Amino acid sequence: MSRDILVVAEQWKGQVDGITYQLLSKGAQLADSQGVGLSALILGHGLDDAVEVLKDKGMDTLLVMDDPELEQAGADVLAAVIAEAVRRIDAGLILIGYSLVGMELAPPVAARLGGALMTNCVNVEFVDGGFVVIRPLFDGTFHARIVLEGTGPAKGPAKGPAVVALQRGPTPTGQLPSKNVSVQPMTVDLKAIPSGSEVLELIEAPVSEIDITKADILVSIGRGIGDKDKIPSVESLAQALGGLMACSRPLVDLGFLPSERQVGSSGKIVAPKVYIACGISGASQHLTGMSDSKMIIAINKDPNAPIYQVAHYGVVADLFDIVPALTEAAKKGKAPD
Amino acid sequence: MKIIVLCKAVATGVSDVKIAAGGKAVQYQSQPLIMNECDEYALEEAIVLKRAHGGEVTVLTMGSITTQNVLHLGLAKGADRAMRVDAQVQDSQAASIVLAAALRKMEYDLILTGTQSRDTLSGLAGIAIAERLGIPFAFAVTQVEMDSDKSIRVLKELGGGRSARVKLSLPALLCVQTGIQRLTYVPPARMLRARQQPVRSFSLGDLGLTEDQIIAQGYHFLDVFPPTRTGQVQFLQGSAQEVATTLFSKIKEVM
Repeated sequence: MSRDILVVAEQWKGQVDGITYQLLSKGAQLADSQGVGLSALILGHGLDDAVEVLKDKGMDTLLVMDDPELEQAGADVLAAVIAEAVRRIDAGLILIGYSLVGMELAPPVAARLGGALMTNCVNVEFVDGGFVVIRPLFDGTFHARIVLEGTGPAKGPAKGPAVVALQRGPTPTGQLPSKNVSVQPMTVDLKAIPSGSEVLELIEAPVSEIDITKADILVSIGRGIGDKDKIPSVESLAQALGGLMACSRPLVDLGFLPSERQVGSSGKIVAPKVYIACGISGASQHLTGMSDSKMIIAINKDPNAPIYQVAHYGVVADLFDIVPALTEAAKKGKAPD
Repeated sequence: MKIIVLCKAVATGVSDVKIAAGGKAVQYQSQPLIMNECDEYALEEAIVLKRAHGGEVTVLTMGSITTQNVLHLGLAKGADRAMRVDAQVQDSQAASIVLAAALRKMEYDLILTGTQSRDTLSGLAGIAIAERLGIPFAFAVTQVEMDSDKSIRVLKELGGGRSARVKLSLPALLCVQTGIQRLTYVPPARMLRARQQPVRSFSLGDLGLTEDQIIAQGYHFLDVFPPTRTGQVQFLQGSAQEVATTLFSKIKEVM
């Protein structure tokens, strides 16, 4: 019995999403520790370039389901295709991204396979013959270690394969081992899968005048800002430092700032030289969007705020005390002597 | 149009988290319960749809009598009916079993809920319910348009600013994204009136379920701990000016 590990690749119009490499890196590590194979599945249409890119990324088998009909397929159909790939590979563990795309696919895939489902995982390890995940609870204030029962190779009563959805994390740095990959085209009769949904149109991200992904310095604000009329004081700091202002999701939801400024898994993924988080508690969806930043400074009144899990420098204080002082320091520091 | 909104009651803050007896689940110290914010957006969207297209809105929650506050808020915001399943569950999968059983006893064209609850943070209950009911679903929905009696068109986020327009046949379940509507303020007088309205409750027995059908299975907790800090944060102390001077010199170092 093989009980391989299967990574579900994420792509947009034939371009591989970065979270896929993170899943492959984790998958390769788990496959090695267990002595099983690593497979990946990519599904969509126009995947030739994506297949070229993925081929030497450490997997033994790459399943490719390339079908124009997949562009209109609803999540129910995609889930059925993924479940079919799991059966063909005889995978024991499925790794999928905890992105908005993966969040929609993980539950129906798990439902079709009848095994355990763990979402929003920070990590998954192979410990004492079973998979153990780490995932957050309650606003990310706590982490829990959870054992998936019966997931070891040929251990315990046979259970359906487990689905683990991993958070977007820091980009893996190590090289993935290049293997002699077997690329296997896969066909599934999509018309035979019952479906109640259909994709009518895929819409690119709107082109915006400002691009926070290009800035060297981002001064980012969250709910702690309180009122919309406090925003200009933070904008002054961004200007004084020669950077741009960004924000967390709640400020876009409140209508304080446009979505082009939003950092996080549903907004932009940024990695500036300096990221200053002002009044941002650090929900995991925000952290995944900025944790690759070179230097992270957090200003938050709550010393237990999850933002301090990733920050290099922390200031437990009122942001309206620190922001004006830092603006002054920046103006003085820049002025010619 | 019959709309049901699934609203979870969650603690306002977290204190005293511990592993429950048997090591299979986590217990929170019970605090005053409020409506999970993501679900409040689903409620607002339901009210907007009702105003535009007619019909009725039912709010449904699960838990002990302490969760009724959430239902009163639903009624105060404009829901017509409130229902509660009197059950305590340990995880999102168990919740999906119970809520799907309750929904099978109710009439609906559309089920709305949020994307995630702040306590479990798993974001799977909504879609797991749709799977159990065998109805189409969409996640992170930012716009809902009525197409006909038989279908709707929604816009859903795919991350990074990308989105997709999707057609779903009714009945369907939507996990709406935060910000789909603005949250409305409820005057205290309206909240007081809502507290007078009846709330129907189901027991597990009414739903044909037993306690052992809703025990979380297939996993167990090892431990719960404060997250490790990957950034090894260094906290700066001193006056605002001192802190600002230090920060600015650190910024200059990396630029």
